[in-house]
Amino acid sequence: MPEPVISLERVTKRFAGHTAVESLSLDVPQGGIFGLLGPNGAGKTTTIRVLLGILAPDEGSVRLFGHESDGRALSARIGYLPEERGLYKKMRVLDHLIFLGETRGIGRAASRAKATLWLERMGLTAWSARPVEDLSKGMQQKVQFIGALLHDPELLILDEPFSGLDPVNSQVMKDVIVALAREGRTVLFSTHIMEQAERMCDHIAIIARGRKVLDGSLVEIKRNVGGQHIALGFTRNASEASRILQDRSLVAKLDDYGASAEVELASDANSDHLLRALVAAGVGLCRFELVEPSLQSIFLSAVAGDSELSTSQTTNA
Amino acid sequence: MRKLVAVIRREFVERVRSRAFVISTILGPVLMGVMIGLPLYLTGRETMVRRIVVLDGASGTFGERTQKALNEARVGSGGGARERYAVQVLRVAGRIQAVRDSLIRTMGLPKGPASGPDGLLILTDEALGSGTLTYLGSNVSSLTDMETLEATLQGAVLAERLSRAKVDSVVLQNVAAPIRLEKAKVTNGRVSAEGAESSFFLSYTVSLVLYFALVVYGVQVMSSTLEEKTNRIVEVLSSSLTPSQLMFGKVIGVGAVGLFQLTIWAAAALYLTMNLPAILGSIHVASEVPTAASLPAVGTDLVLVSLVFFLLGFFLYAGLYAAIGAMCSSHQDTQQANAPVTMLIVVSFIVSLFPILNEPQGTLARVLTFVPFAAPFAVPLRYSIAPLSAPDLLFSVLCTVFGAMGSIWVAARIYRVGILSYGKRPTFREVARWIARG
Repeated sequence: MPEPVISLERVTKRFAGHTAVESLSLDVPQGGIFGLLGPNGAGKTTTIRVLLGILAPDEGSVRLFGHESDGRALSARIGYLPEERGLYKKMRVLDHLIFLGETRGIGRAASRAKATLWLERMGLTAWSARPVEDLSKGMQQKVQFIGALLHDPELLILDEPFSGLDPVNSQVMKDVIVALAREGRTVLFSTHIMEQAERMCDHIAIIARGRKVLDGSLVEIKRNVGGQHIALGFTRNASEASRILQDRSLVAKLDDYGASAEVELASDANSDHLLRALVAAGVGLCRFELVEPSLQSIFLSAVAGDSELSTSQTTNA
Repeated sequence: MRKLVAVIRREFVERVRSRAFVISTILGPVLMGVMIGLPLYLTGRETMVRRIVVLDGASGTFGERTQKALNEARVGSGGGARERYAVQVLRVAGRIQAVRDSLIRTMGLPKGPASGPDGLLILTDEALGSGTLTYLGSNVSSLTDMETLEATLQGAVLAERLSRAKVDSVVLQNVAAPIRLEKAKVTNGRVSAEGAESSFFLSYTVSLVLYFALVVYGVQVMSSTLEEKTNRIVEVLSSSLTPSQLMFGKVIGVGAVGLFQLTIWAAAALYLTMNLPAILGSIHVASEVPTAASLPAVGTDLVLVSLVFFLLGFFLYAGLYAAIGAMCSSHQDTQQANAPVTMLIVVSFIVSLFPILNEPQGTLARVLTFVPFAAPFAVPLRYSIAPLSAPDLLFSVLCTVFGAMGSIWVAARIYRVGILSYGKRPTFREVARWIARG
């Protein structure tokens, strides 16, 4: 197995009054897309800041590309898009990108060439001489995204990259991320939107309250969860269905969305029992499918018991 | 190093390119011109003729002499000069009190045909003896008015006293002829061409410019740090730059902008001072203050010393301003938080200015030379009056360098933690912990 691109070893980071990250060990393999998942306040941003060297860990060590050194020294190989986005409002777009390239450690000329190329690719060439503040919010987000990757980093770290993006920009960014991963680069992104992570990630790690609760490849994780999962879609009598799904002898876990639901069958039940019960009760079904467990349900059971989750869950779902 | 250069370049280019820089660079000399020119213009224009009634209760020629002296007093010099006083003498032997009271009732009223004189001067024989004259007027709070009046009366009183002592009138005229002090400054064992007034003017200007530059550019460092924090760009930057690279880049960049702007202004000031008489002439002002008009001789050594201490002072104070900016999360915060640093500058400036102007070789002046916070003001000021000895100068530079390094060290520690902390402004205790832990 090749050396992991990022390797955190029992990293702990405390702030006045609380521990943001506790004894976290994590290996991010080379290539592909790695999802760092967790509810709000789980310590995702702190973890990212520590591995970039913005914050020094109180305990533990960080290795990047097999080196013990600071993320800043390796900044030419790493691209970073923080959750809190910001640009110099008065600076011209191209100048700004050149500057960002320079701070990453590539030369002015190379930086200019790359920036020009990316602006063209993102359809922003006409704006390159305009000050940042003249751009719409969506365009500014694209500029920030370009800033994170114009120096061709081997490792791209994106903190909540899709938050606040409209569907069009979200799609553009997703396409770029996927293309970069196909080229053999490593992308690590944090998110609390499970659908996004489920569709994009090869590997995930779930952290809650500063601790890792689960990690591995998505396929493995799903295989290990076990149990029979069924996705349901209702056309009528959904309330009746909801009553049947409460039956603990049939259903072990329920994720009820009203017009649809995802359930894990009880160990001694099988899908026939459930189907028969639903039909007998006059529930109209448009979907009844044996599925892999969704990342959402894995996530929820993994972080269950986390009291903070009860609030964040409703906003994230 | 290349990253640092990128930060400095960005800071410099973006600042110089900004509209604010262009406007302040143009308005600077205009303001400077106004600051120098306006008071001259106003003193020239605004000095009204003072109407003085002399209540002459004295015997002999005291009244006449006083009237003559007052009539001869002029505002301005050369062609533009005009009379300072309109004098009316009332011989009031024995009725002084009554006339005085009736005149006072008409004084100090709003200007109009009914209003009385600006002042009453009471002359008595006793006053001549004791030298204490009484003047009642609406303008007694004007220091210049009172000083010129005293000087004018001095001559008249002196002449009258001599005359009563039966001194011959020709002798009297010779004795009463006014004197003029020809002043010349001695530096390095040589008499220099510049006068004391232009030397004072230069010293004063040098320290004033340093003071303004430190405050103005220091505050720019602070608000620029705050801006990076509030627009969150600092998050991206700190993933590739160390806090010291960020802070030094900013301080050096803003400092370079400051030097650039000061150079432009120095050129403008040079032009202005060289052409001041012509400019004043064109607006028909007779300059009462010749100091501004005479071009002070600025040695290259003074320029060099000023430059070195400007830079040292800038590093000393700008680092602290950067730390303040890093500590705060909003402009309201900084307004309070920067008060200690600004006070430090103001106090250092004032403490240096007056004692040194009075006694440039005094103990206090010497001590201030070695206090890092005060040296940036004190040394150029002392140097403009009389050069320091080489060991003193060297030691002073050394002290200030250490001071600046200390301040930068403290600032960098606050900066490192501060730029990523948002929300409430940290307490003094928290800041102390940031510095201690690093």
